[in-house]
Amino acid sequence: MIIDTHVHPALFADICKDKERLNRRCDEMGYHLMSPFPLEVLEKQNAFAGIDRMVLLPLDHSTRCKGEVMITNEEIKTLVDLKPDMLIGFASVDPYRKDALEVLDHAFSELGLRGLKLNPAKQRFYPDDRMMWPIYEKCLEYNRPVTFHAGLSWEPGTLCKYSHPLRFEEVALEFPELRMCLAHFAWPWVQEMAMLMIKYPNVYTDTAMMYMDSAELFMEKVFHQDMGQYWLDHNFQDQVMFGSNAPRFRPVRIKRGLDSLSMRDDTRRKLYGENAMRFLGMEGR
Amino acid sequence: MKVELITKVVCADMEEQLIKITDDVKEAVENSGVKDGVVFVISAHTTAGITMNEGLPCVEKDLIGKLDNMVPYDDVYAHNHFLPSYGATGGNSPGHIKSMLVGNHCVLPVKDGKLVVGHAQDIYFAEFDGIKNRKYYIEVMGE
Repeated sequence: MIIDTHVHPALFADICKDKERLNRRCDEMGYHLMSPFPLEVLEKQNAFAGIDRMVLLPLDHSTRCKGEVMITNEEIKTLVDLKPDMLIGFASVDPYRKDALEVLDHAFSELGLRGLKLNPAKQRFYPDDRMMWPIYEKCLEYNRPVTFHAGLSWEPGTLCKYSHPLRFEEVALEFPELRMCLAHFAWPWVQEMAMLMIKYPNVYTDTAMMYMDSAELFMEKVFHQDMGQYWLDHNFQDQVMFGSNAPRFRPVRIKRGLDSLSMRDDTRRKLYGENAMRFLGMEGR
Repeated sequence: MKVELITKVVCADMEEQLIKITDDVKEAVENSGVKDGVVFVISAHTTAGITMNEGLPCVEKDLIGKLDNMVPYDDVYAHNHFLPSYGATGGNSPGHIKSMLVGNHCVLPVKDGKLVVGHAQDIYFAEFDGIKNRKYYIEVMGE
């Protein structure tokens, strides 16, 4: 089972029918010169890459966008219903919304979404701000994991001071049962990410990194130069998940970069799917 | 003179694939109403081309394989850098180079309302940067 845990469905044609809304979404998320495509093309791409499932991440920073949610929880539900065997839906909520907890209740109980995506850099909050505690408690109440954007965000209007990995440590300390993924390996703060994973077993990361040359060269740099050659095999094999950051980066290319790394067979199985199953609370399914 | 432009959509099953489109071109010519003239088949992309060759799987395999040897995926390409205009890192330089090598179009005669094509010739949409929906044009011109 290979699971891509980091997919932004901004260009999935079934939620792109309103062109003006699509243009606003692409402007907000920094996607240009790329066109919407149908789920049938996605199925072909996944079949070729050997990817079985994808986690879809919405975006609600509506208090900064005159109330508009760029990718809604309902749109995620629409996509999941079209391809339930392939797609896993997460929720999003703007933490500054007065009805944030109601939004999450609805997303988890009515829409059946499997986790929460938050982007501190985009939504402009510090993860260790006490205003976030009720949101984390709500996730624990429903046994839902949280994927945070961490590290560099290239998206327009983002500030990376909000997504520095050290701002997540108090969350990990105060909510040890909360499964949290600090996405993108918190790049460029790879060592800080490693430090958090060593201390907190429920802290995960993913491989959705913005490579600057090729996926192969970048994975080699991160996994074998920024980190020691055996750190992944010997220390973090239960905490790193395959993620692509599609559509900014093609899943097949990120996977090819990971395929090129030497690692133990059991590490690779965990990286590509088993860790995601545990993170998502889907072990045994 | 009559000019008929048809836009076709094609989607490969792999990143690189030669997709036979001869029958689509024949059909377009026959439906165009042009009796004598020429037909152009033109790619709408910079990482996919149009080419002609013998329609045998072994020939297709050799064409794809030799292009891979000439333009390896894992070489160093200046295009592999972050492109703010896309919001993504370029990773398809081999596709750009291969599409240049095969060219973006082919031209064939039309006679008595039918495509004139050699018995070994097939027309291919040459995908070098799939998998996505792609467009090509069939333009039939004549009397």
